Amino acid sequence: MRRNWMREWYLAAGVIVGLVAPWPAGAQKPADFFRQNCMSCHTIGGGRITGPDLKGVTQRKDAAWLEKFVQNPKAAIDGGDAYAVQLQQEARGVIMPTIPGMNAEMAKAMIAFLDAESKLAKSQFAGGAISDRPLTAVDLALGRELFYGTKKLANGGPACVNCHTMGTVGGLGGGRLGPDLTLVYARLGGRKAVGAWLVAPATPTMQSVFRGAALQPEEILPLLAMVEDAARQGPAANQSSLVKFFVAGFGGLTLGLVLLGAAWRGRFKAVRRPLVHGGMRGEE
Amino acid sequence: MNVRSQISMVFHLDKCIGCHTCSIACKNIWTDRKGTEYMWWNNVETKPGTGFPTRWEDQDKYHGGWQAKDGKLELKSTSKAKTVFNIYHNPSMPTMDDYYEPWTYDYQHLFNAPEGPDQPTARPISMVTGELINIESGPNWDDDLGGSPIYAANDPNLKGLSAEQQAQLQAVERLVFFYFPRICNHCLNPGCVAACPSGALYKRGEDGIVLVDQTRCRGWRACVAACPYKKVFYNWSTGKSEKCILCFPRIETGQAPACFHSCVGRIRYLGVLLYDASRIEEMAGKPDEELVEAHRSLILDPNDPEVIAAARANGIHDSVIETAQKSPVYQFVKEWKIALPPHIEFRTMPMLFYVPPMSPVMSNRTDGKIEHVSEDLFHDIDEARVPMQFLANLFGAGHESKVRYALRKQKAVRWYRRALTVGDVTMETAERMLREADCTKEEAEAIYKLTSLCTFDDRFVIPPAHREEALQMLDGVFEHKQAAGFGFISGPQRGM
Repeated sequence: MRRNWMREWYLAAGVIVGLVAPWPAGAQKPADFFRQNCMSCHTIGGGRITGPDLKGVTQRKDAAWLEKFVQNPKAAIDGGDAYAVQLQQEARGVIMPTIPGMNAEMAKAMIAFLDAESKLAKSQFAGGAISDRPLTAVDLALGRELFYGTKKLANGGPACVNCHTMGTVGGLGGGRLGPDLTLVYARLGGRKAVGAWLVAPATPTMQSVFRGAALQPEEILPLLAMVEDAARQGPAANQSSLVKFFVAGFGGLTLGLVLLGAAWRGRFKAVRRPLVHGGMRGEE
Repeated sequence: MNVRSQISMVFHLDKCIGCHTCSIACKNIWTDRKGTEYMWWNNVETKPGTGFPTRWEDQDKYHGGWQAKDGKLELKSTSKAKTVFNIYHNPSMPTMDDYYEPWTYDYQHLFNAPEGPDQPTARPISMVTGELINIESGPNWDDDLGGSPIYAANDPNLKGLSAEQQAQLQAVERLVFFYFPRICNHCLNPGCVAACPSGALYKRGEDGIVLVDQTRCRGWRACVAACPYKKVFYNWSTGKSEKCILCFPRIETGQAPACFHSCVGRIRYLGVLLYDASRIEEMAGKPDEELVEAHRSLILDPNDPEVIAAARANGIHDSVIETAQKSPVYQFVKEWKIALPPHIEFRTMPMLFYVPPMSPVMSNRTDGKIEHVSEDLFHDIDEARVPMQFLANLFGAGHESKVRYALRKQKAVRWYRRALTVGDVTMETAERMLREADCTKEEAEAIYKLTSLCTFDDRFVIPPAHREEALQMLDGVFEHKQAAGFGFISGPQRGM
């Protein structure tokens, strides 16, 4: 009986935690929300990155449309809304993801926030934090170190190679949890977009990992150099690394078994069966 | 000197007729339970042959027994470090196939088979899986040289024999075999006891019987691998190891063990030996050729006043010392020196001794006529059909001298008795042979009596048990009395 009570307690606790957990996101200030979720694709007065510049967006469309769109962009596009489809084309086919925590209340708050920010001479989200200077060989070398983790990230975030691989990553390649970054430039739309992404990653996985460990601007530039270099060299090397990975795996397994077999060659095997079926005959 | 007493045994191989009555007696009393079907605490092997489990004497495979490294003894199968790494998988375990898969028959089918054109048969059923099986081997599969081109030809004791000698052993009308009954040797330096990670095996202080404590045994099976004679068995049903207990409940009540009692050929002798426990390690580490003598030197003269005093000081009861003085084993092993330990090179110091068997003279077959090499009734022992080297591999760690001595003495006794009772050989010749065999007339008479005319009480000189004194060695008697008494008996089973 006692056990059953315990189980119910756990269940109840689980339900409560599940209900409470999303709250802090909902109760966030719009500025923080924007920094975490929007900044990687949008600027306010900084021009288009992946998504359009949001300066003056409240003049372009009415609040009701914006509210509906921002809560479920995909539905709007699928619904055949002409402006939504146009937005998608402008973003080279990238559909704006549904943002967790973007409910009606937050949408209202966000539109008000965008309206206010648009009226400022220069919004804090105008972008341009990442320098435009040409990337050098020094940047590339530093970028490699940061990517591989031989040099630690200043705020203690994990090295990129743990989850990502690129064409230029040698050996068995990097991690395969996150996407291959070789062609990320093409996917996201160039240096500016990737830089914005690195300032504020937009996926739940990256967010949870880098929430307390944001990248520094002086770290982002070298990483961009690394990504740019990979894009230049193309994905060919990456394919062979996958083959190498499996070959090395099978080779290692075989070698391990051979070594174990050698170390245990004196182990007991059957006596009677080989004796009777010819294996041992004439040994004496 | 650290004198202890040990119930020891002699098997007189010249008298064994290979009837397996001992095996059956043992099986019916002890190993007819679930999980013990494949066990034969007592078994009878044909030599040459591979025995049970197959080729158990081949320690390159089974890794049983001890090896001496710079005079230090080490178990072949395990060590403190190896125990840790091999505890969940002991690599030197015989497989079920090396014993045999025990079976019964589908007897019901004889009664219940539907009517048909053929006689119904009782097909063999595995006692492990319950499925129909094809019988491939059994505990005495090579009995009486069955399948000898495979089994007898692979006897590990053929090592060192010339190709000609091996061919002779196999030749039709000249082939020869003898029987080799085996039980636990209740060794002085038991490998099984040394190997047990749980300390479940022990050698009883009062009589040297080696036992497995069924409550302490955790089924690691290190004992199975470490025993070179493969006389510890794993019970798959209870998850514990089991072995010959020398019928201690019978011994404690003054009866001979079942296999001894039932022996048709009366080949078995049992008695107490006093030995010096302080020198076991030193003696077990001697080189191969000295081992038989070293082992013998551990056994003390029970009539020596010094030994008696030391025995008393160690708490051995006077009645035990008295039975030791009348021990037939002492006579065979120490006085007459005609009983030898089996495979002393395993260095466990077995306390079961064998009188090596005589065998017929060699013969030749020419033009359909069989001619014997020797016309003598009791021919020269070097012309016996069982080569001396073969017996030496079994009973002399590969060295012939001790085996030759034992056989010569047996032969001299035969000549002597022939001269006395039949008279077709002269007493002069008989006496010369006795002298050559290091034997007096009195000794010859005593050997003859204990071999041929021995009564039950001559063969089994069982010491009074004195369980109360045995308890005193371990426990306070009064404390034991409080702790014993009524309780619950539970059989061995798996789990803590």
